[in-house]
Amino acid sequence: MLGEGDSKTEPKAPGGRRTGGRGPERLGRRAGQRRRGEHDAAPRADFRGRRVPSARQAGAGPGRSARFSAPWRPTGAERPRRWPCGGGCSVGHCHPLVVQAAHEQNQVLNTNSRYLHDNIVDYAQRLSETLPEKLCVFYFLNSGSEANDLALRLARQYTGHWDVVVLDHAYHGHLSSLIDISPYKFRGLDGQKEWVHVAPLPDTYRGPYREDHPNPAVAYASEVKRVVSSVQEKGRKIAAFFAESLPSVGGQIIPPAGYFPEVAEHVRRAGGVFVADEIQVGFGRVGKHFWAFQLQGEDFVPDIVTMGKSIGNGHPVACVATTQAVARAFEATGVEYFNTFGGSPVSCAVGLAVLDVLEKEQLQAHAACVGSFLMELLGQQKAKHPIIGDIRGVGLFVGVDLIKDKATRTPATEEADYLVSRLKENYILLSTDGPGRNVLKFKPPMCFSLDNAQHVVAKLDAILTDMEEKMRSCETLRLQPEAALLSPPLGECALLLVLGDPELGSLPSAVAPSFQTFCL
Amino acid sequence: MCELYSKQDTLALRRKHIGPSCKVLYAADPIKIVRAQRQYMFDEKGERYLDCINNVAHVGHCHPEVVKAALKQMEVLNTNSRFLHDNIVEYAKRLAATLPEQLSVCYFTNSGAYHGHLSSLIEISPYKFRKGKDVKKEFVHVAPAPDIYRGKYRENHADPASAYADEVKKIIEEAQNRGRKIAAFIAESMQSCGGQIIPPAGYFQKVAEYVRGVGGVVIADEVQVGFGRVGKHFWSFQMHGKDFVPDIVTMGKPMGNGHPMACVVTTKEIAEAFSSSGMEYFNTYGGNPVSSAVGLAVLDVIENEDLQGNATRVGTYLTELLNRQKAKHTLIGDVRGVGLFVGIDLVKDRQKRTPATAEAQHVIYKMKENRVLLSADGPHRNVLKIKPPMCFTEEDAKFMVDQLDGVLTVLEEAIGAQTESVVPENTPCRTKGGPQERFGLETLGEEVKQKSLCS
Repeated sequence: MLGEGDSKTEPKAPGGRRTGGRGPERLGRRAGQRRRGEHDAAPRADFRGRRVPSARQAGAGPGRSARFSAPWRPTGAERPRRWPCGGGCSVGHCHPLVVQAAHEQNQVLNTNSRYLHDNIVDYAQRLSETLPEKLCVFYFLNSGSEANDLALRLARQYTGHWDVVVLDHAYHGHLSSLIDISPYKFRGLDGQKEWVHVAPLPDTYRGPYREDHPNPAVAYASEVKRVVSSVQEKGRKIAAFFAESLPSVGGQIIPPAGYFPEVAEHVRRAGGVFVADEIQVGFGRVGKHFWAFQLQGEDFVPDIVTMGKSIGNGHPVACVATTQAVARAFEATGVEYFNTFGGSPVSCAVGLAVLDVLEKEQLQAHAACVGSFLMELLGQQKAKHPIIGDIRGVGLFVGVDLIKDKATRTPATEEADYLVSRLKENYILLSTDGPGRNVLKFKPPMCFSLDNAQHVVAKLDAILTDMEEKMRSCETLRLQPEAALLSPPLGECALLLVLGDPELGSLPSAVAPSFQTFCL
Repeated sequence: MCELYSKQDTLALRRKHIGPSCKVLYAADPIKIVRAQRQYMFDEKGERYLDCINNVAHVGHCHPEVVKAALKQMEVLNTNSRFLHDNIVEYAKRLAATLPEQLSVCYFTNSGAYHGHLSSLIEISPYKFRKGKDVKKEFVHVAPAPDIYRGKYRENHADPASAYADEVKKIIEEAQNRGRKIAAFIAESMQSCGGQIIPPAGYFQKVAEYVRGVGGVVIADEVQVGFGRVGKHFWSFQMHGKDFVPDIVTMGKPMGNGHPMACVVTTKEIAEAFSSSGMEYFNTYGGNPVSSAVGLAVLDVIENEDLQGNATRVGTYLTELLNRQKAKHTLIGDVRGVGLFVGIDLVKDRQKRTPATAEAQHVIYKMKENRVLLSADGPHRNVLKIKPPMCFTEEDAKFMVDQLDGVLTVLEEAIGAQTESVVPENTPCRTKGGPQERFGLETLGEEVKQKSLCS
């Protein structure tokens, strides 16, 4: 059983974050903080692994005790809670260093980016050091949706093309323009626009090419190639391929390695650009790398990257990173891009503080370690509970795919819903996603601990065991002649049983009265 | 004042890493602001500037009550609106209380909508799509701005409100003849980027009648002008009379005193129609406890410090001072405004009302040297716009106008214009003396760039 890392140093308080105006004694320097003019010299995290705390620890698995400074821990009555769905509190709710940075800057200046200020340029520089070199130009905004909307504009302006290729079940935001490129949304609303083209989700568990396929990356990428070709045959032109680096709403999907580089090739050949949506998954969540797209290979570099959610630990911040070429093409429109709140001194101070915490508390390595542990525990559960069809994940981005049937992999939607409500009763917040609403999704704050992982899995185990016992008792009842006439297939029995669970309250009227007698 | 980088380095880094479409003010000589309090901003040398631009810092830069409210909540909880929380409902309740009864349902977001910088909003922002290579989309129909100074129907027209509203009616009819149907009429309650335009009384009522008559709704964009800026009312659409109630109101900018927040308020009917699509509307950050706490604090300050009253008093005083300047300087074609939302329309020729674009840019740079921050807008970028933090005082107004007087005097001397009194307000403006020479900026050795600054 793994214990927590045994380096229990508390995170050091910073000396204040670029507040200015307070005198040198308030602008204390922390170890490693740059002094004026040293911005190029001081090492920072970079995507090649130099100076990234996790670089050597990235492979830390359950068998190795990872040394890392203890993340900030809640005290007193605060219980560890997992925040299931992209609440964006990446380094932990109400992290004191982030709060302090915001507060200090709030007291001094919070205005727009039309004035020169150190925070925005410092933040841009720090971000650039985490990315491949050519992604060095930044636009700051307030929400992931705004970021994706700008990415769309950038792509169109740069390429001169209009159409977009997206993945099935993708979700890129709630603005009109983004609903248009989010099959997850448009299928329930206005339908697919003629300039939007949908490629199959590279889901090796439930998609057309599965774990037994010799090369699913190439197979799925060929689907994109096919889509691109059919677009071109219609005389249309691709501006962009948009994809979440790890599709979340699609069901916590890990695209096979090599997929993005192949897709990028097809898209770029057609004159389009590759947009990697890192809104859910960036900032070290995947453990091994700072950005999830980096899982796809060292040589793979998107043209545009969008970031949000975890970037500000809850503060409304978002960002688009792109190349000089794309930025210049956008500038050539002659229209100014102004975002009232984007890039404000407070937002940048918050963003910088989050980067600091990620670094100081080595949360990337932590994510790798805890994530591996969590996957291992879940793997054990999979062996034990047939309802678990698949466990997939990387770092602290994990999905548990619940199924009714091993052969058909039918999503166990109602069971998943029931499980989530039972977990809530056990003070664990989790939610589901995937087109079948059957994938339990784990994307907790990055300070999620080994203990937390153990606790959650233990509860999951207990609840699943309980559910299975009830199903077995249902089977026993089915041996009765009357029950035999009524008995549905096993999966449906589980459905009716789940809906009829007395802990949930009164039964839906659809349940046959005789069944109520059996199950109550 | 401690900086991380020298101003030169800051600028260099900005050029390296920030999208070049993101412009700075005073591009020829940008300023680095490191601190702000109330209506003042301070540069890296500690020089103090009077801020006449930032309506976003509605109750004053870094207001301690707002800062405190944010801190208090940030230390406790900042998460999304999928959980029940008191702040969001309390804030919605307080906001709804400022509005007519039927506007009772709130959606919280993070930023406002010229109507905005998003793709969909550029499509409905002539200010943006006319500048860029984007063309007007077929679903967008543009009505003339109800500008009684420079528009089609001016102050000497018998009923400009009806005349302008009839233009909208005409457009609606044309659209319908093409088989199209109007979903909405959207307008800033007072146009800011359009040049600090105050639509004539009665305009919105008539427009609403025409639009609703064909099944459309009226959207009042209060992103720039809400929250008591007009003084007499909390919302500027209320200036048009109790009988005008939009179907949807958008608000932003001043709501959070700089904290990213915005809101859409609408009727129960519209909200229900939206939810009947079956699709959830979720905004990760919108309505979070910190934003709501900040919003509540801003409402408290507006009330406790009687900022609406201040806007009326100081706004009236400011307008009075500016009208005296108008009598003195022929460069000033029009002074218009209400509360602390004021525009000074600079012209080369009073009769023709030719926009004095280059002069406006020059004035802005000169005012900056005199430590007053102003920006220009309007389609010709010749309208000096004043929308300062609401704690702006009469002393500030006097200071600003004195500086402006000085700058205009020098400018007019340079271009040979006469600074003499003209006939009173209510007679048509006529140019005195001969035609003005074209103002040559080169002679003053200034490099200015024409740019639109809609903030």
